[in-house]
Amino acid sequence: MLTSAFYFIAFVTVFFAVMVIAAKNPVHSVLYLVLTFFGISANYIFILDAPFVGIVNIIVYAGAIMVLFLFVIMLMNLNAEAEHRKSNAFLIVGAFAGGSLLLIVVDAIRKVDWKSVSGQESSGGAIGSIKVLGKVLYTDYILPFEVASVLFLVAIVGAVILARKEKLPLTVGQISHPVSES
Amino acid sequence: MNLLISLTALGVVAMFGGILKFRSMVMPLSVLGLIGASLLGVYAWNTNQSFLNDMMRMDNYAIAFSIVCMAGTLLTILFFHFFHSENEIHYAEAVALMLFAVAGCAVMVSFTNLLMLFLGIEILSLSLYVLAGLRKKDLLSNESSLKYFLMGAFSTGFLLFGIALLYGATGSFATTQIAYQLGIAGMNGMAAMGLLLLMIGLLFKVAAVPFQFWTPDVYQGAPTIVTAFMATVGKVAAFAAFLRLFQLCFAPSKEGYQLVIGTVAAITMLAGNIMAIYQSSTKRMLAYSSIAHAGYMLIAVMTLNASSNGSILFYSVAYTLASISSFLIVMVVQQNRNNDTADDFNGLGKTNPWIAFALAVSMLSLSGIPATAGFFGKFYVFSSAVSDGFIWVVAVAVISSFISIYYYFRPVIAAYSKQTHDPVMTMPAGTQALLILLSLLTILLGILPGFIAGII
Amino acid sequence: MVTLAQVLPAIILIVVIFALTMLVALYSTFAERKVAAFIQDRVGPNRAGPGGIFQPLADGVKFFMKEEVIPVLSNKFLFILGPSIAITASLMTGVVVPWGPDITLFGKTYPLQIVDIEIGILYVFAVVSVGIYGIMIGGWASNNKFSLMGAIRASSQVISYELSMGLAIIALIMVTGTLSLREIVEQQHGWHWNILYQPVGFILFLVCAFAEANRTPFDLPECETELVGGYHTEYSSMKLGFYLFAEYINMFISSAIMSTLYFGGYNYPGMDAVNEFVGPVIGPLIGFAVLFAKTCFFIFFFMWVRWTIPRFRYDQLMNLGWKGLIPLGILNLIATGAAVLYFK
Repeated sequence: MLTSAFYFIAFVTVFFAVMVIAAKNPVHSVLYLVLTFFGISANYIFILDAPFVGIVNIIVYAGAIMVLFLFVIMLMNLNAEAEHRKSNAFLIVGAFAGGSLLLIVVDAIRKVDWKSVSGQESSGGAIGSIKVLGKVLYTDYILPFEVASVLFLVAIVGAVILARKEKLPLTVGQISHPVSES
Repeated sequence: MNLLISLTALGVVAMFGGILKFRSMVMPLSVLGLIGASLLGVYAWNTNQSFLNDMMRMDNYAIAFSIVCMAGTLLTILFFHFFHSENEIHYAEAVALMLFAVAGCAVMVSFTNLLMLFLGIEILSLSLYVLAGLRKKDLLSNESSLKYFLMGAFSTGFLLFGIALLYGATGSFATTQIAYQLGIAGMNGMAAMGLLLLMIGLLFKVAAVPFQFWTPDVYQGAPTIVTAFMATVGKVAAFAAFLRLFQLCFAPSKEGYQLVIGTVAAITMLAGNIMAIYQSSTKRMLAYSSIAHAGYMLIAVMTLNASSNGSILFYSVAYTLASISSFLIVMVVQQNRNNDTADDFNGLGKTNPWIAFALAVSMLSLSGIPATAGFFGKFYVFSSAVSDGFIWVVAVAVISSFISIYYYFRPVIAAYSKQTHDPVMTMPAGTQALLILLSLLTILLGILPGFIAGII
Repeated sequence: MVTLAQVLPAIILIVVIFALTMLVALYSTFAERKVAAFIQDRVGPNRAGPGGIFQPLADGVKFFMKEEVIPVLSNKFLFILGPSIAITASLMTGVVVPWGPDITLFGKTYPLQIVDIEIGILYVFAVVSVGIYGIMIGGWASNNKFSLMGAIRASSQVISYELSMGLAIIALIMVTGTLSLREIVEQQHGWHWNILYQPVGFILFLVCAFAEANRTPFDLPECETELVGGYHTEYSSMKLGFYLFAEYINMFISSAIMSTLYFGGYNYPGMDAVNEFVGPVIGPLIGFAVLFAKTCFFIFFFMWVRWTIPRFRYDQLMNLGWKGLIPLGILNLIATGAAVLYFK
């Protein structure tokens, strides 16, 4: 039951992920990507029994980040015609490189003797519950948790730098004169 | 740990320096703070302490590379201060980003858990993306930032896939656990795939061929000081993390992938050096040269024996010293002559003898001529590879080193043997003194390498 | 295997709540006009039925009978998908609201909540954030610049205000220690309503709820003076009806959630005594009626504000969200954390 559910969800997820790159219209791509995130969340919620992670995945990715993607694409009015066409040689090389990587991955995974892969047995159904998760996050993984805040601080400072207005003419390379804050 | 906390706090202080208008204090505070953090590192030498459920371990390797990165950052901040007035918009924020970046480096070189590795790399990369685009109204700077960001995000994807597969194979993010599990079960397909993807991600970050194509544009477009920062601190930290990961997790099964890294190293050295010959812009030439140096350093990652740590540390120091000063000289030339082809170095020996001296020393060191630090850097790396029987890689390395002499000497020859009518170059006070200091350090290490070699 | 008898109560409850939601939404439109008339000293609709009571039905029939127009240059599938997502998302939020205490019927106890999940609040958040796609897709698929502007305004507004709403919720969670709406309600038994512990949080939540439901003074996505009709400019007939309905359902559900989170849900003072007196069938129904009364008050409040306060300008809206509410939310968070640390 659980296995077939997993295969179904996984198939749907991968299908939408393929549609993301197959779709001609960028807006459709984004919408397929949203569906892909739903598929991943469904995996978390129904298969891994970790509803918190699944719901947060939807809130953050589907609810916020993809909306911003959609924003940019809609505002720039990108569509299939505006897309820069790649030369065929490019496509062939890309397909070859990607295909070889896929081949290697599939072959490597296929040869795995799954019995020797230890993995970690999930300790009952509570592994994904929010209480367990919170405890692990604030004890075992407290350092990565705190270091992640440095990462976000960097992102904020960077966003401020990039977003603040500068009164300067556009240049291409070379020396620009120092700007003073007026 | 104290080192990491103080670096982060320093970044926050610098950030508030911009908000609360004590900009004039930002540079002195950062310099003092970096020196203080280095002293904290020295104080923790040999303690070999691990922190918070073994997330990071401050062993000598970590401390040594943290100090190298902090020294590089210190120099970058000093030069940044020389060339940019503190009233400039974003001055304090840029310094803050550099400090955060070096905090990321400290995480990268001390991790014992793959989560920390990932976070460290991201902190460093995110700071560099923004710093590369610091000159917002310059299209090249924008291009540099965007390219770096897209490529960096792409490579992070590989890194994460690798970590995920490795977790699947071993059930843990901790390096000790991964090494233990791989020791019991051996490399199965999933772990090998994880290793491969991790390797791809890290090769992207260190800009090895065939993952180098972003480097020239990014290095050329970014503001020169930032380029110096990326090429030295960023690269050193990436290599330290690369080597540390392989030492901690994959050392026993190194026979399996040495050939891959060796081939990549050989191609990287050859391609980097040959491409560098064709560059007219010296800054772009240095970008290709940094690719070539990534190849040399990869040899140490490939051999992965007891002397790898020490040799890559020495190489990093030598490379950092020479690279920072050469990028700085390029910057001075750019500002005075509005361009940076070899012809713009004409007559530098007459007009600015000390700058020409610094140029000569750093170029000699980069090409690995004896009596400079660069020579011993290459010597240690090559000799440990030879002792492990990788003669062919070393042969390629030596040949490409000879190729590199050609382009490294071009600006030096122009500086000493050609004439110019241009006036004496001007530069902010202190630049020249610092450049001379860097040259003297390079020569000192070239004569007495024992200072750093064999320390870890 | 799950038998029909096991799921039947849940199905009945779903149907009842669905019908109730639709009914409330239907009569909210009527109430809106009556409240507007009352505030503006008019009579309001009074032709259909006694006191105009059948007016919503007449409106509904009108919506169904109107001509259906789909713009030629639009993306037809997405054009239809937009309102469907909007109304589905708004109906889905009602699932986790505990409508009343457990009710005992024919010797069996049934919860008056469709499903109690551990992370009820986050579920509501997720569904609301998905609801944006209804507006964005509809606005884009219309192939009309006013629609697009409206859609973009709507989504940026919702994203901005979701942050401060989240901050208000986090502070509340620090007090309650659970994310399950049911447990939050049970904790407020009697007079321990969360509004007493989280007054600032409630005000934040209230303001954000206005913005999330696109209600005046934050109804910029459909601001007539600037954008014709906003994201639903090109819509007609029942598709327009769906968008309007979704808005009223959102208002209803956010009123219910506000009552649940901050005003004790179905709890009221003296509840235990009343329950003992009327028994386990009528008692829960009284609880439900109390929750419904609280919800109706908030719906009235939404309308009251709409006919009192003029619309914000867009930059004012963003300023309030980012520079006013988020710092306030963070302060509230810190103060709550300190208080929790001190008192527990």
